[in-house]
Amino acid sequence: MLEILIHGAVSSAIYAMLAVGFTLIFGVARVLNLAHGSFYALGAYGAYYFTSHLHMPLLPAALLAIGLVALFGVFVEKVLVRPMRRSQLAVLMITLAVALVVEQALFLTFGSEYRNVPEFVSRKFTIGGVDVGGQRLLALGVSVVLIGLLWLFIQRTRLGSAILAVSQDPEAASYMGIPSDRIFSIVMALSAALAAAAGVLAGPFLTVQPTMWLLPIVKAFAIVIVGGLGSIPGSILAALMLGYAETIVGYTISTSWTEIVSVAATLLMLVFRPAGMFGKRAAF
Amino acid sequence: MMKKLSVLFSAVCVAAGIAATPATAQTKPILIGVPTSMQLQVGRDTQDAIKMAVDDINAKGGVLGRKLEMVVADETENPETGISAIKKLTADEKVDVLIGGYTSGVTLAQLPHISRAKTIYLGVGAASPSITAKVKQDYDDYKYIFRVGPLNSAIQAGQLTDFISNFVKGELGISKIAIVGENAKWVQDLVPLLKKGATAAGADVRVTEMFDAQTSDFSPLFSKVKDSGAQYMVVILSHASSDVFAKQWYDARFPMPYGGIDVKSMDGDFCKRIGGKSIGELAVNFATRAPLTPKTIPFWDEFVKRTSRQPVYTAFGANDAVYIYAQAVERAKTTNADAVIKELEKTNYVGIPGIIQFDATHDVKPGSATYKGPALIFAQWRENCDREVIYPKTMRTAEFVYPPWIKK
Amino acid sequence: MFGKRIDFAGAAGFVAFMAVLPLVFGGNYLIGVLTVSVIYGIWAVSWDFMSGLTGRENFGHSLFIGVGAYTAGFLNTKFGFSGWWSLPASMIAATVFALIIGLPTLRLRGPYFALAMLSGAVIMQRLMLIFWEQTGGEEGINGIEPLIHSQLGFYYFALATLVVTTALLLALARSHWGLILRAIRGDEATCQAAGINVTYYKIASLVISAAFAGAGGALYAHYQLQVSPQLFAVVTSITIITMVYVGGMASIYGPVGGAILLVLLTELLRDFGEWRLMVYSCTLILILFFLPNGLIAPTWRRVKAKLGRPQ
Repeated sequence: MLEILIHGAVSSAIYAMLAVGFTLIFGVARVLNLAHGSFYALGAYGAYYFTSHLHMPLLPAALLAIGLVALFGVFVEKVLVRPMRRSQLAVLMITLAVALVVEQALFLTFGSEYRNVPEFVSRKFTIGGVDVGGQRLLALGVSVVLIGLLWLFIQRTRLGSAILAVSQDPEAASYMGIPSDRIFSIVMALSAALAAAAGVLAGPFLTVQPTMWLLPIVKAFAIVIVGGLGSIPGSILAALMLGYAETIVGYTISTSWTEIVSVAATLLMLVFRPAGMFGKRAAF
Repeated sequence: MMKKLSVLFSAVCVAAGIAATPATAQTKPILIGVPTSMQLQVGRDTQDAIKMAVDDINAKGGVLGRKLEMVVADETENPETGISAIKKLTADEKVDVLIGGYTSGVTLAQLPHISRAKTIYLGVGAASPSITAKVKQDYDDYKYIFRVGPLNSAIQAGQLTDFISNFVKGELGISKIAIVGENAKWVQDLVPLLKKGATAAGADVRVTEMFDAQTSDFSPLFSKVKDSGAQYMVVILSHASSDVFAKQWYDARFPMPYGGIDVKSMDGDFCKRIGGKSIGELAVNFATRAPLTPKTIPFWDEFVKRTSRQPVYTAFGANDAVYIYAQAVERAKTTNADAVIKELEKTNYVGIPGIIQFDATHDVKPGSATYKGPALIFAQWRENCDREVIYPKTMRTAEFVYPPWIKK
Repeated sequence: MFGKRIDFAGAAGFVAFMAVLPLVFGGNYLIGVLTVSVIYGIWAVSWDFMSGLTGRENFGHSLFIGVGAYTAGFLNTKFGFSGWWSLPASMIAATVFALIIGLPTLRLRGPYFALAMLSGAVIMQRLMLIFWEQTGGEEGINGIEPLIHSQLGFYYFALATLVVTTALLLALARSHWGLILRAIRGDEATCQAAGINVTYYKIASLVISAAFAGAGGALYAHYQLQVSPQLFAVVTSITIITMVYVGGMASIYGPVGGAILLVLLTELLRDFGEWRLMVYSCTLILILFFLPNGLIAPTWRRVKAKLGRPQ
């Protein structure tokens, strides 16, 4: 029982970090970014490359990786996505193409083998008789802090208000003199950085391989649909639900059924309540 | 095909010239088609090992006075691409023999197309028994199929059962075991046999759990195994994330040793690339750098010299397959498929993992106490990511040690 | 009138070209590549009929393809039916699935519908793996009999199926039916207000699209002699959408060209070895960027405009 509680929390935390960024860029720029999983992959590979090839210490390597991925996110948004924004299908296709290019680039540079991202904490902790790797607990903690900071940033700062304004009504926001294009870039950087952070934190205990972008994007998509596209609280709640649902299915039925849970939840949600739990026109 | 289109005109121009040149047949190279997953280590090693054999044979004058030449086609892990790779090699490149393969599903999908192309196929990567079973069911159509390696999964199950009864039960004194395998065809073939064999040998199989190859979080699985009361975890993994499995096993300091068939753990750098977390794992290898035959160590060293990495299992079969085919052609004095098949069936070749002979289904014969064919070698990852052979006992280089967090 | 005649001449010329190509160059390899490209053509056309016309992007077309292929595989290997039963049977099976998934999801808009269809396909793929005792797991069903033993004969049969499919769907798309579907794309609410039973038309178009995709799936199964869960994969749907994109959305004939072009391109890129998929993805980005309306349909329109201009 306690095992389900702990492991469910860890998966939920990773999912939340992925989903919040994904829903943020949709809420603000109406961009469904299929390259979101690639940011996650690049974060993990960045940490791997800087530590094992350039022999940097882990913390600077991780921060550098996250920063570079944020820059890459801005590049993708400015150069590739912006000219396509008139059509949602075009955005889906271009971001998908970006994801494929990133995957192939990783294949060609690092090969198909799994790579090792060093962990921040290698100790094992025993909580109430349950053995948990320290890195998992760290991922849980950092995720809570980062999402909390993001929430404060949006609610309490001037820039955050601008982001909120653009998400609620881009036209009105631009009449107010808010440069919406700059806001898009900033949000994309935030979204990419969150995904990269998830990659750096989960890399040590999950898969680090060129195709690692696919599953996270499917999960993020599912969470965001269940929570309501564009809603941050919705996606956090949905991340918790899916994280726990998967863990419970894994423990009680079989691990081969876990991957179907999120997809089935998406389908059911779309059929019965397509707006999701918190879906409104307003993003937050 | 495309080449044809693009060089159509030049082709037409020189066609007359080629037709006029007499008797090029004897000097035309013998083409070896290599369908493999080019982006994977198994695929790269297949190519490098074939290249080694080809260079060696060509340096000694080739086969029947003809040089050998290798043509590669990427079969990925997708049946559709696999089938088009076979068509490309057989119908477009018109190769004389195919050597390669990795994923059982792809190989099975390719079989009818290989049979229609009437081209000899020497498998070096896929382990499903269904592949060679076709030879028995329909000899005339499927006689082209041979497997040089690895041992098919039914035989692997047998040898794994011996390992459980002789070593896990006999030497470690553990009878409560758990069997954990990925959801793949060859594993599905293997698990029931293993379970039956282990139970017959007196082991108590507490839990059998299959999981998806994409699984990335093994905590639920580990917890089930732990709760079952098992004391040893037997694994069967090939496409799954062995790396993640080992890492999570170590991170949770999982309270029982594990071992079995773990294809990715055969990679020489497996232990290093996961930060030493597999130390303590006991995994099957098809060959190690040991004098299994007079060829093993020379091949191993030459391979490392040429590629600066340790060979994986497809390399052994691929290298042997070239020599086996070359010798069969020498004996048949032709590359005609029917004649070469007759000679291939008589193969008795001292290969890298052992003596290679084919049984009635064209499958490689496994080694036993009296016959030095290929057999499974269980090696344990040790301090500094070295490997020590633990089982079979006759080859043992060191005694088994428990992972440091398990008190015995 | 003249425009129609040019269209017809273009179509006839294209079919003749496809029919003669293997005779000129010969070789089972070329025939194989062309057969696969023609089957992808059927899939792309059927996708375009529903999604191109109504503007509801279906990211789970592979669902119908897979259902068609597995129906053919099951009937042929487990129940011993002749391959010729596969075509009608797989069309029916795909229709049933289209109704099951279409009725609840077609009211959804844009990305939601795309995602619902995608989920449907992913679930089917998972189920194939989970129930491996019945479905053969990741290896799928092997030992399917060829429909026609001669490879050239099969190619012509597939080509004929493609021509019939395209002609039928093109005729439908140019009838008042197609007009209504296009109107739905433009403004669904107005259509409803005008008394058109929007739901009926959307479901019917999905069913037609699915039936032809299923038939293509059956052809595929009898050509590859094997079906595997990878057919259900998202990649299959994405590949088809890419083909339609290259061909020119909502033109029906464009996707045929797109499919043939991309399958040939993929084979051409074999020489790039490891770099193949990288080159493919980069090409995709370039096409999206510089030819947002596709390649085939706009080119044909331009050719037509040139020919049709009175001298």
